[in-house]
Amino acid sequence: MKRLVIIPAYNEEESIENTVRSIQKNAKGFDYVVVNDCSTDRTAKICEENHFNYIDLPQNLGIGGAVQTGYLYGYRNGYDAAVQVDGDGQHDPAFLVQMAECMEKEQMDMVIGSRFIEKQGFQSSTIRRVGIRYFTFLIKMLTGVTITDPTSGLRLINKDIMRMFAERYPNDYPEPESVVAILRRGKKVREIPVIMKERSGGVSSISPQKSVYYMIKVSLAILIERIRK
Amino acid sequence: MNIRTQVFVAVIVIIALILLINMIRKNQLELKYALLWFVLGIGILVFGCFPWLTASMANLLGIGLPINLLFFAGFCFSLMIIFSLTMAISRLSVKMKKMIQEIALLKKQMDELTKLINEKEEEKLK
Repeated sequence: MKRLVIIPAYNEEESIENTVRSIQKNAKGFDYVVVNDCSTDRTAKICEENHFNYIDLPQNLGIGGAVQTGYLYGYRNGYDAAVQVDGDGQHDPAFLVQMAECMEKEQMDMVIGSRFIEKQGFQSSTIRRVGIRYFTFLIKMLTGVTITDPTSGLRLINKDIMRMFAERYPNDYPEPESVVAILRRGKKVREIPVIMKERSGGVSSISPQKSVYYMIKVSLAILIERIRK
Repeated sequence: MNIRTQVFVAVIVIIALILLINMIRKNQLELKYALLWFVLGIGILVFGCFPWLTASMANLLGIGLPINLLFFAGFCFSLMIIFSLTMAISRLSVKMKKMIQEIALLKKQMDELTKLINEKEEEKLK
């Protein structure tokens, strides 16, 4: 089994080195690739100096486009599974092995690391939790499946889904929408409990001003995804 | 509409059409995207030259003043042109994203190959 960790990084100079080192140390059996989304800080330089395996996007694509580049890389290089780990240090690589085992043992198409099963570690702010609950409810209504953490970026997918995502993947806030897309195709999705940390550097891509746009855009995207051919 | 407005409209439209054709001729504009504007120009010209056409059509649609039909039709057509632009941008952004990703992957491959070649060269020198 060839497994790949995709680390999308946009202006993560403070945390990228620790993230990669921690993956090298804790994620046994995983290769990694950093996707530098045209950062304006020293992210690319740090990757270069440390001889990290990285892809340098010549223009900024946003989180969706960056992660998709990673899936494309993984698919073309014959990986059997790929997982996204954010470059800001929120995701603990120690859970990756557990997720891969779950995927292989139970023949899952996607394994999501969820903060809200055992409710341990960083639980996000109240207002964000309300938003996440709402998406859980919406997805349950539309697909009948309960996804406790639909916004989790920590997601392991198999080759089949990798091909799908390399083909088409939302540009911004891709997580809830793409979960619906694969649930609708009858793929098997499982959540396992993980503990997330507070981000160690950088800022969230969802600022208060953007959260209104986020809620509307993602709701619409989920609804449209449901009625797609 | 009296003859003065008719001439005024006709002159402006003809000048615009000449400019448009000239731009296509000089390859500053793709014919594909100029076509909608071309049709719009011809349409205005026809309705401007034959006011009875406008009047009868306005009558048919229950619009009191013929000029209002022109405004309404112009507005609808402008919206169509704007929408075609939104569609074009949407298509372009997908194409561009794919291209950026391909370039990034190619760049990575090339860097790796260059590194490999350099190492081989160094070995030879030793």
